Amino acid sequence: MPDPKLLYDAVVSGDAKSSLAITQQALADGVDPLQLVNDYMVPAMDEVGRRFEANEYFVPELLISARAMKAALEVIRPLLVARGDKPVGRVAIGTVKGDLHDIGKNLVASLLEGGGFEVIDLGVNVPPEKFIEVINTRQANIVAMSALLTTTMPAMRTTIEALKKAGVRDKVKVLIGGAPITQKYADEIGADGYSENAVGAVALAKRAVAA
Amino acid sequence: MNSRERVLAHIAGQPVDRLPLMPITMMLACQGIGARYRDYCTDYRVLVEGQIHVAETYGFDYVNTMSDPAREAADCGAAIEYFENQPVAILEDQALLTEKTTLATLKIPDPLGGGRMHNGIRAIGLFKERVGNEKMVEGWVEGPIAEASDLRGINTLMTDFFDDPVFVKDLFAFVVEMELRFAREQIQAGADMIGMGDAAASLVGPQIYEEFVWPYEKQLVDGIHAMGGRVRLHICGNTRRILKGMGSLGCEVVDLDSLAALSDARQQAAPGQILLGNMNPVTILRNGTPELVTQVAAECHRQAGSRFIVGAGCEVPRDTPPENLRALCEYARHHAP
Ligand code: B12
Repeated sequence: MPDPKLLYDAVVSGDAKSSLAITQQALADGVDPLQLVNDYMVPAMDEVGRRFEANEYFVPELLISARAMKAALEVIRPLLVARGDKPVGRVAIGTVKGDLHDIGKNLVASLLEGGGFEVIDLGVNVPPEKFIEVINTRQANIVAMSALLTTTMPAMRTTIEALKKAGVRDKVKVLIGGAPITQKYADEIGADGYSENAVGAVALAKRAVAA
Repeated sequence: MNSRERVLAHIAGQPVDRLPLMPITMMLACQGIGARYRDYCTDYRVLVEGQIHVAETYGFDYVNTMSDPAREAADCGAAIEYFENQPVAILEDQALLTEKTTLATLKIPDPLGGGRMHNGIRAIGLFKERVGNEKMVEGWVEGPIAEASDLRGINTLMTDFFDDPVFVKDLFAFVVEMELRFAREQIQAGADMIGMGDAAASLVGPQIYEEFVWPYEKQLVDGIHAMGGRVRLHICGNTRRILKGMGSLGCEVVDLDSLAALSDARQQAAPGQILLGNMNPVTILRNGTPELVTQVAAECHRQAGSRFIVGAGCEVPRDTPPENLRALCEYARHHAP
C-alpha cells in the first residue's frame, strides 16, 4: 500500500501517473479525500510555488505539477460532491478582453481548484458580459481577472464598471493579477484583491470568501 | 559616418562616432504615420513607411520588418486572427500541431510563395531601395522555441518537454529548417542583419534551455552566419538563468529585456559580446520622465560597457511620450561607446 505522503512527492515532481495511482489507492484504503487535498496536495503546490519564486522551477515544471494535482483532483472531486461537501467558493476566471496570455491564468485556475474552489474558466479575451453572465447563471462569487499587457489592464476597470452597471458588483469579490498589475492599481480601480503569484491567489481567494 | 556605417563598424570592433541606437518599435512606428496596425502587419509598404518615418524622426540607426509573431505560422496554415489595431494573433486553441502526427506531413512553406513571409521579404527589398545605403536593414525570424510554441500551442509545448522529448526535437528541427529558408531569402533581398525572436525561451529553466533550445538556436545562428548574415537575438522576459547560453551563441548582438541585468549578461557572455537594452519599456520609458530615461540609459551603458547599443528592453510601447523616447535617442547621440 503506497504511503499517501508519496502524493506530495508526486505532485511536486509533476508525476501525474503516480499522483493518480496513489490517490486511488489511498481512497480505496479509506483515507479521507479532503485530507489528501489539505495534507498533501495543497502543501505540495505551496512547495512548487516556492520553488518557482526561488528560480528553481520554471513554467514547464509548474505546468506538470499542476497537471499531477489535477489528475488526483479528478477522482477526489466527485467524492466530495457526492457526500455534499460544498466548494469553498465558485470562481469565474479569465484573461481580460484584448489579451491572449493565459499561462499565468491557467496556473491560478489550477491552484484554486486544488484549494477547493469550483473554477469556471472563461479562457482568454473575455468581455465583461461573459463575467456577468456567469455570475448570474452559475452563482460565481469570485471574479478573477488576469492581464499581461499594459494596453489591456484598463479592461479590468471596464469590467468592474460593467459589473456595477449590471447590479452584480456586490455579489462577488473581484481579484486581479498578471505581471503589470500592482496593489496600487487594484486599489485604484476598486478591486478587492491582488496577488503577484498563483499561490498567493489561493490565499487571497480564501480570505475573500471568508470576509 | 552614417547609421549603417556606424553599426557595422561597431560590430566589427572599429571606432565609431557615437553609440548606435536600435530600439524596437512596431505599433509606435505604425501610429506615427496614422495607419491601422492591421495594415502594418499585412502590407509591406505601410510597414516600410512607418519604419522609415520613425527612424528618421528619432534618428534610429536601423529599420526592421518585425510586426507580430505569426508570419511563419500563418504560412504554415495555422489559424490566426487579425485585429484592427493589435498585432496578428495565433489561435492557440486551434493550434496547427494539436495532433503531433501532423508534423510528419507538414511542408515547409515557400517563403516566396505570396504569403506573409513573402510580404516581410518584400519589405526588405523596399527598405534596401529607399534607405539601404544609410540605415541598417534588419529582417526577422522567430526562434526555435517561439515558433514551436506558435505551431504547437505554448501551453502544450511546455509539457511536451517532459512527455515527448523526441517530438520536441523533431519539431525544433523542422522550425530551424524553415527559419533558415526564410532567413536566406531575407538576406538575398538585402537584409544586413536578422533579428531572431525567441520569447518563450524565458519561460524555461537552464536545463531545458541547454538541452532543447540552445542547440537549435545555435544551428540557426550558424546557418545565418554561413549565408553572410548577422544576428540580433532578442528574448522577451526574464532570462537571468540562461544568459550564459545566450551570450555564447555567437550572435553579433544580444538584445536583453529589462528583467535580467546587463551587468549579469556582461559577466556571463563571451568577451566582447555586444549587448543591447534594456530599460523597462513600460515603467521607465513610457511612464517615466526624460530625466529618468537619461539616468537609466547611463546606468545601462555603465553596466554593459563599451560593447553596447542603445535600446529599450523590448518594444517601445505605442503610447510612449515622444520626449521620453527622444531622451533615449539623445543619450546615444551624445555618448561615445
Ligand atoms: C508567453 C508570452 C506571449 C505568448 C502568450 C501565449 C499564452 N498562451 O499565454 C504570445 C506569443 C502569444 C504573446 C503575445 C504577445 N505578447 Co507576450 N509575452 C509572453 C511572455 C514571454 C511570458 C508571459 C508568461 O506566460 N509568463 C509566465 C506566467 C506564469 O506569469 P504571469 O502570467 O505573470 O502569471 C503569474 C502572476 O502574474 C500571477 N497571475 C496571473 N494572472 C493572475 C490573475 C489573478 C486573479 C491573480 C491573483 C494572479 C495572477 O500568477 C501567475 C503565476 O505565478 C511575456 C514576457 C515575460 N516573461 O513576462 C511577454 C509579454 C507579456 N508580452 C508582451 C507583448 C507586448 C505581447 C504582444 C503584444 C507582442 C506582439 N507585438 O505581438 C502579443 C500580444 C498578444 C495579445 N493580444 O495578448 C509584453 C507586454 C508588455 C506590456 N507590459 O504591455 C511582455 C511583457 C514582453 C515584453 N517584455 O515586452 N506573448
